[in-house]
Amino acid sequence: MKPIRILLADDHNVLRDGLRLLLERQPDFVVVAEASDGREALRLVDEHRPDVVVMDIAMPVLNGIDATKQIATSCASTAVIMLSMHHDESYIVRALNAGARGYLLKDSLKADLIAAVKSVSQGHSYFSQKIRALLQEDYFRQMADKQKTDSLELLTARESEILQLAAEGRSNKEVAQLLNLSLYTVETHRAHILQKLNLHTVPELILYAVRKGIIH
Amino acid sequence: MASAQIGALLMISSLRQSGQQVEERFLKRSRILEDIRSAIYLSGTVARDSILAPTGGASSELAELNHLHQRTDDALERYQKSLDAEEATPFASLRSEIEAYWRVLSSTFAWTDSERKQFRYQFFYSELVPRRTAMLQIADRIGQLNERGLLRGDEQVAKLFDRLRLALIGMIGLTLMGGLALAVFTSVTALRLQNEVRARLEENIEAKKSLRDLSAKLLRAQEDERRALSRELHDEAGQSFSAILLETENLLDAELGAAAKPHLESIRNLAQRGMAETRNMALLLRPSMLDDFGLVPALNWQAKETAKRTGLRVQVSAADLPRDLPEEHKTCIYRVVQEALHNVVRHAQASAAQVSLQWEEERIDLTVQDDGTGFDAVRVRGLGLLGMEERVHHLGGIFAIDSQPGRGTTVKIQLPVAQLRSEVTYETNSHSVSRRS
Repeated sequence: MKPIRILLADDHNVLRDGLRLLLERQPDFVVVAEASDGREALRLVDEHRPDVVVMDIAMPVLNGIDATKQIATSCASTAVIMLSMHHDESYIVRALNAGARGYLLKDSLKADLIAAVKSVSQGHSYFSQKIRALLQEDYFRQMADKQKTDSLELLTARESEILQLAAEGRSNKEVAQLLNLSLYTVETHRAHILQKLNLHTVPELILYAVRKGIIH
Repeated sequence: MASAQIGALLMISSLRQSGQQVEERFLKRSRILEDIRSAIYLSGTVARDSILAPTGGASSELAELNHLHQRTDDALERYQKSLDAEEATPFASLRSEIEAYWRVLSSTFAWTDSERKQFRYQFFYSELVPRRTAMLQIADRIGQLNERGLLRGDEQVAKLFDRLRLALIGMIGLTLMGGLALAVFTSVTALRLQNEVRARLEENIEAKKSLRDLSAKLLRAQEDERRALSRELHDEAGQSFSAILLETENLLDAELGAAAKPHLESIRNLAQRGMAETRNMALLLRPSMLDDFGLVPALNWQAKETAKRTGLRVQVSAADLPRDLPEEHKTCIYRVVQEALHNVVRHAQASAAQVSLQWEEERIDLTVQDDGTGFDAVRVRGLGLLGMEERVHHLGGIFAIDSQPGRGTTVKIQLPVAQLRSEVTYETNSHSVSRRS
């Protein structure tokens, strides 16, 4: 099996060393390069075309979010995992909007990093266990406050199925193949889902799915 | 001025006196001259009767003549007392004429009858009549002189009048000048006082302004300090904790033996706790979202934190804010919401609070409303409220509290902003993410 090629981008040397140590214990992981700022990360991504970039959200010269945006356009096959100390949704949303597939908290890297690299390298999303818990907690509090019915009940079984696949990061084409449906049907379902749940973007859809515990 | 008036009064009274004096003197002297004149006339008549009588004059006539002589002498004496310089010569000649007249006349008394017969007509017409005429002429001249004296008196009075007029004119001039000087002095003094008052007022305004500036500066400095401290905690302490954590976990993986494991686990727990505490402290000092993403994400975070910590349901309804909302406005609104929610939690016994933020072209409206117990907003003015009010006033805004016992509380602020562009901060704005993770 081909090893997963990884690039580390963090301005903190000690942390980078720790990450490399942790990752390289996996037989099928290879750290191909290390960058200490966003600009260097972009250059090395161009050079090495890694499968996964593990990126600090805040770095000098060019921060992680802006670097992720550029990677998403210049090298779409590379998946980005964002490392952050922030639990707050505003950071998660911005990271996802920039194109990150994973969002990990720095206080639980050991537990999440390996799984996250595997998950995003297969095209899925990944969030720290703690983030998932927080998002779901928020969601339940909001539900309780507004005493709303669960919006998930608005969806048909087929729509729920498509929601999960879409939230995992699969394209409409992949979904159509998996479910044996036409591309057009999938697109229609997807539009209905966004409309029913009052969502507008893919990151919103992903966060929704995380909150509801549909994906993790 | 008073002395000038008194002077004028004195002058008027002296004028009146001297007028009277001149008139009295004139009348008195006229009477004396009249006396002399009539005595001489009378003596002439008596002498004629005595002389022209064929026989010697009666003794009664002689007595009469003596009496008249005495009268003229008395009159001459009286007149001499008030003699003018220019009357001296005619008066002396009058006097010698009169003396000569009496001498000549008295010589007739000793006449014999023959002498009388022989000389009486001749004497009467050639001696007595011309003498009498001369005397009367002299008396007339003196009378004229007396009249001139009167005229002179009139002239003096006229002169006095002129002086009075001059004095009055002078006085009026003096009075006008005095008044003018007084007016000028008064105006200058009033102007000076006014200037002083204005200077004081300006000083006062200046002092108040600098006090306000100072307190605004202090607020800014405090905010800068908090931002720096928050960032420092995040970037340095937080990063170090996360590195320690990762290293410790790597060591745990390396299986160093049963003796090391509990220590490493303890280090890991400490590092985790340290990281969490560092992050919380940094966020409490100043939430990084405020600088990284803007006001609305920071308010959402604040609402969520308050809900998590206290159970108060906090809803934020905020329009996307303009990208060019000034830093100080963001901070002001964030701190007001923070303080208001703090008050709700501490005092209101509320179950829910609503934060709403709206903006128009040139102003931003914020309300924080709760469903709690409320209070008497007129009488209660805690320090928290003053702090909020001060922040709002620094930016030229309006701060208001609407509350009544049992009716909940609404904090309202309105901030003026220089023409805001309609361009808004969308969630994609991430250019400002600071060096934290």
